[in-house]
Parts: sequence; C-alpha cells; structure tokens
Amino acid sequence: MSNEAASRATQDVDAHTRVGRTFWGRLSNWSPYRALMGLVTASPRRQFLILAIFPLLWVLTQHLGPMLQMVRVSLTDAYPVAPGVEQHFTLDNYARFFGDQIFWQPFFRTLIFAGGFTFCTLILTYPVAYFLARHVSRKNQMLFLLLLLIPFWVGEIVRTYAIMILLGNTGALNLVLQSLGLIDRPIPFMYTSFSMGVGIVYLTALYMLLPLYSALEKLPRSYNEAAADLGAGAWTRFRRVTLPLTIEGISSGCTLVFLISTGFYATPVLLGGPSTTTFAETIAGFFHVAGDEWPTGAAFATIMFFAALVLTAVFQKLMNALRKGDTK
Amino acid sequence: MSKLIFNRRRFLGTAAMTGAALASPAYLRRAHAQGGEVNIWTYNDFVPEAFKKQFEAETGIKVNVRLVDDQGKQFNLLAAEQPNPSVDIMTVAGHRFLQFIESDLLAPMDTDRLSNWDKINPTFSESDWSTINGNKWGVPILSGMEVLSYNTDLVTAEEAQTWDTLFSEKYKGQTAYIIQDMLSIVMLMKGYDGNFIEYADDHEKAAEIMAEIQQFMIEKKPLVRKYYDSGAEIQQMFVNQDIALGHSWNGPAAALINDGFPLAMSIPQEGSYGFVYTLNVANNAPNADNAYTFLDAMLSSPEIGAAMTKASGFISTYKDSAQYLTDLEKKSTSFPEEQLANLQFFRAEQNELKYGLMDPAVEAIKAA
Repeated sequence: MSNEAASRATQDVDAHTRVGRTFWGRLSNWSPYRALMGLVTASPRRQFLILAIFPLLWVLTQHLGPMLQMVRVSLTDAYPVAPGVEQHFTLDNYARFFGDQIFWQPFFRTLIFAGGFTFCTLILTYPVAYFLARHVSRKNQMLFLLLLLIPFWVGEIVRTYAIMILLGNTGALNLVLQSLGLIDRPIPFMYTSFSMGVGIVYLTALYMLLPLYSALEKLPRSYNEAAADLGAGAWTRFRRVTLPLTIEGISSGCTLVFLISTGFYATPVLLGGPSTTTFAETIAGFFHVAGDEWPTGAAFATIMFFAALVLTAVFQKLMNALRKGDTK
Repeated sequence: MSKLIFNRRRFLGTAAMTGAALASPAYLRRAHAQGGEVNIWTYNDFVPEAFKKQFEAETGIKVNVRLVDDQGKQFNLLAAEQPNPSVDIMTVAGHRFLQFIESDLLAPMDTDRLSNWDKINPTFSESDWSTINGNKWGVPILSGMEVLSYNTDLVTAEEAQTWDTLFSEKYKGQTAYIIQDMLSIVMLMKGYDGNFIEYADDHEKAAEIMAEIQQFMIEKKPLVRKYYDSGAEIQQMFVNQDIALGHSWNGPAAALINDGFPLAMSIPQEGSYGFVYTLNVANNAPNADNAYTFLDAMLSSPEIGAAMTKASGFISTYKDSAQYLTDLEKKSTSFPEEQLANLQFFRAEQNELKYGLMDPAVEAIKAA
C-alpha cells in the first residue's frame, strides 16, 4: 500500500468513527432503526405510499376538510344547532340564491371585477417582469425581486390602510394634485371601484409578476435575435415570439390573481363603497347576522367556489387552445 | 397633526387615569388573590386599561379581552361554541338580550354576588328592559344613542335638526351610516314604529313597511359615500374629511369632540333610539367565579365609569361618575332637553319579527 492510500484509509476510518459518535451515526447503526428502514424502503410502491401519506393528510385535513365541512353545512337547515333543534338535510339554501335575483348582482359584479382587475394586473406587471428578466443583469435580479417583495412583508390589512392613506381626501395623491394646482377640491377616490381596484391590483401584483418573470427569464434571447435578423420589428417580435412563448406564465398568473380576487373580503370592505358590494361581503353578512343563516352563507360560498373553478377551467382551455394554435 | 394630538391626549388621559386608579383606595384588595383568568368579549375602550392592569395585579386573575364590533357576530360565535364557550363575559346591548336568552347563551345575573350593584343608577339597573323572565341578565355599564354627527365647518346646526339632511342632494357622497340602524331611524322618519311593537299582530303590515323602507334606502343609495360597521370607521372618515355628516353612535362622535375635532351631534326632530350596553355572564362560562369578581370590581368606583366614558365617549350608567369628567367631556356626553324628548329606547319584545325582516333587507340594500 502506498503512503497516499494508507493516509486515505486512515481518514476514512476516522470519518467513520466520527459518524459513529454522532447522534445520526449511532441511530443509523441501531438495529431496530435499520430494520424499520428496511421495511419502509422494501419496495418503491411502499416508499411512495409512506412519503405521500403526510402531504395527503395535510391536504385532506387542512385544505379539503374545511371545504367539505362548508359543503356539509350548506346542505343543512340549521347551524350552529341550537339546543332542542334537529338538523335536517335541505337544498333550500342553494334555491335561495337561484330564486332571488338580488344576490345575482354582487355575484356577477365580483366575477366581472375579478376579471377586470386580473387584466389590469397583467397589463401593469408584464412590463415590470419583462424589464426584470431581460434588462436587469442576472446578479441584480434577486435584489430587484427582494425590493418588489418588501410590501409583502406586512399583512393585507396594513397594505390596505396604506392605500387609504394614499387615496383619502387628505391623502398623498390629493395633496400632490392640490399643490400642483391641478384641482381645487379633493377628488373622492376612496370608497369607489377605483380605490378597490387599486387595492386589489396592489395586493395581487406579485402573484402575477413571479410566473411572468419565470416565463420570460426562461425565454432564450436568441429567438428574438433570430426574428430581428429576419426583419421583424419590435412589436412583431413581441407579438409573434415573446407573447406566445410566455403564455404559460400569463395563464398561471391570471389564474392565481383571478381566484384570489374572487375571495377578497377585507379590501372591498375597507376600500369599496356602497355600489361595490362583492359576493364575499354578501356571504360574510350571513355569518354575521344572528340566527340560522350560516347554511345560506355556506351555500353561497360553495356556489362562488364552483363558479370560480369553472371559469378558471374555461380560461385554461382557452389558453391551451391559443398555445396549440401558435405551435401549429 | 390631529392624529398626533389624538394620541397624545389619549396618552395623557390614560396616564391620568392610571395615576388616579393607583392612588385610589384599594377597592380590589378585598378580593382575595384567586388567580386564573377571565375571558371577555367587548367593544374597543370598554374595559379601561388602567383598571385592567390594577385588577390583574391585585387579584392575580388574567384578563383576556377579545374585541368585537357587532352583536350578531357575538351571537354566532357564542352559539357555535356552546355548550363549552371560551368566553366568560360578553357585551350585549339591552335590546338584544332576548335573542341570546332564548338561545340559552346567557346565564341569569346573580346580583347577590355583586356587592356594588347599588352603585349603578337605578334608571338603568331597575328599568323594564333589564328584567326578563324575572331575572336580571346583565350589568349596565354604558348608555348610547343613535345620533346625527356632523362636521361643524361644513354643516349647520339647523341642518342637523332633521334626518332629511342625511339624504339630501347637497351632501351627496359626503354621508355614511350603518344600514341596520338606519332602517329603524328611517321608520321613525316616516312615522312608523321602529321597534315593531305596533305590528306584533299584523306581520303582513310589518313586511309591507319594511319593503317600503328598503325601497327608500335603495333609491337613496347613490347619495351615500359609505355603509360602515364600526365606530372607528366613521371616526376615520370624519378625520380624513371623507364625509361631512353621518349617522353614528354618540360614543365614537363624543370621543372625536373631546379630541378637539370640529364635530357636533344632534338627536333630530323625527326622533332616534337609545340603547344600553351590559356586561353579561355566558351560560356555562368556564370561569364564572372570576367573572363575578371582575364585574364587582368594575362597579366598585364611579371613577371607573368615568374612565369608560372618557375612552369610549358613551354615557356612564354609574352614579356620580360625571364628577370625574371635564367640562368638555360633560358637554360631549349630554344633549339639550328638547332633543332628549325625541329619544326612545330600543325594545326587544318584537325582535324576532323585526330582525327577521330587517336582516334580509340589509342584504338586499347592500346587494342592490
């Protein structure tokens, strides 16, 4: 054995001895532990099942569980059940929505608002994502992303109050407009669909930005260069190359923002006005009113949930069709 | 700047009350140190911070306060938790008693366990609404009323003599109100009984009236700037000059007046409603003994009643609490005799009929 080989063998023995002294080293040498690990990893199928059980339990108890409970409550005539009252199965809570047009207005208003705000968010964040992915050097991109994340270090309510400070009659925007002599009296931005829109776009911008950035960042620059070599102008390059190849990012971002927007409650309550009542506020009303209104609120929440899912599925289908159309 | 003044004044007020409380006779020391905790659901500023700290120090009972802003929410929370509630004391308005009692959510108040019960003004402790099924159900602490609050720089006292101003084109987009409370007031404006006592035997007429009121409120919807829920919201709107006038409870408005904001209140000529906040022991309360210790301590001194008035702006139910208020505080918690003559109290007898019609109307107005 050469000196070098002998030295390496000594190092290996030392390392093995060190491992044997540590907690994990001792544990891995412990025969019951080894037997258990052997049992767990005996087959790939068993390994998969054991690895999947914890995420599955989490999804079932923390995600699906409350929603299934909400569906269950929506199919009853009383909840919480008062002493001496018997709970019965009923579809009346769903019939109430379809039978009373007064509830359709906030329902469709919410879907239209969510669609409109999603579009605005896309239009506003696409240039930011484009700039970040294509014009900021790779080493500075993380810094820029961190800067964009700063507002998200605080909660939804705090950020909503920040919008109130900005848009109020005595807020920063009105003060600037007045000091520039552009207006005499403050413009009532607050408690309108405008203030609500600003709030929702601000709160959801990051959910749009990150998928867009990811899609744009993956797009090779050579594609645009090749298109330019072939005589395509800037707009044509964007329309025929960049946009179609980032459609997956657009699709993911829009889905996220749309679904989040349909469920916003605090922002419409704080920033919205009497004519911007959303379906989330209608649903909350049933949970706040004293009495047996929880099942109706649960039924309305279930209706909104499925409506949002159906619309998202249609949107995804549309995006898939667009993508396929472009690759033909 | 007004925010800064507000905070500084509040700080000075709290500091002064802390000093007064610490210098006051050890009214709590009689309570033996029993430890544990007491869980309270109440509105913002209803439990004075200085009193809470002293109570905790002298009894060893930790006071856990959960803030609420709505009677209905409290009802639902408690109903969902029964028969094992997490709360010991809750804050119910006198006219909402019945709903809580009928659902077995409240325990009858054992006034024999409250040695300081006689420190409450009998107008509140012995009135008709406070006794139901032969029992007392709560400790009256603060009295409030539905008022028309207005920015005195923008609205005249004469304009504030009628609720019509709230629905006038002149103040389009400069008003705010709580829909449910306004429904009762609009009934008064139109000459109906907002307590629904008159319609106890004619539910059809009650429904017709509510439909008329609902229609009126929907027609007037383009004039209102904001439907709000909590006192803090309307304070914020006045301070930011988002509104010129609005319906409010007298408490939040008085707090702004005491802070020097150019605000005034009136009970308009068409009339308005008053109510009394009470602290109640929940049925099956986990710390009922501590709850009674807390309630008795809270009643022990008129200074505590005054501290509650200073912080919340509502009128104290304690005997002699006014002597601990400043002139401005006395002024902001009192009304001219001729305006008080327009006031009547909310009543609970027909609550089932009333809220059965009113709650859907609120949803309909919001949704329209």
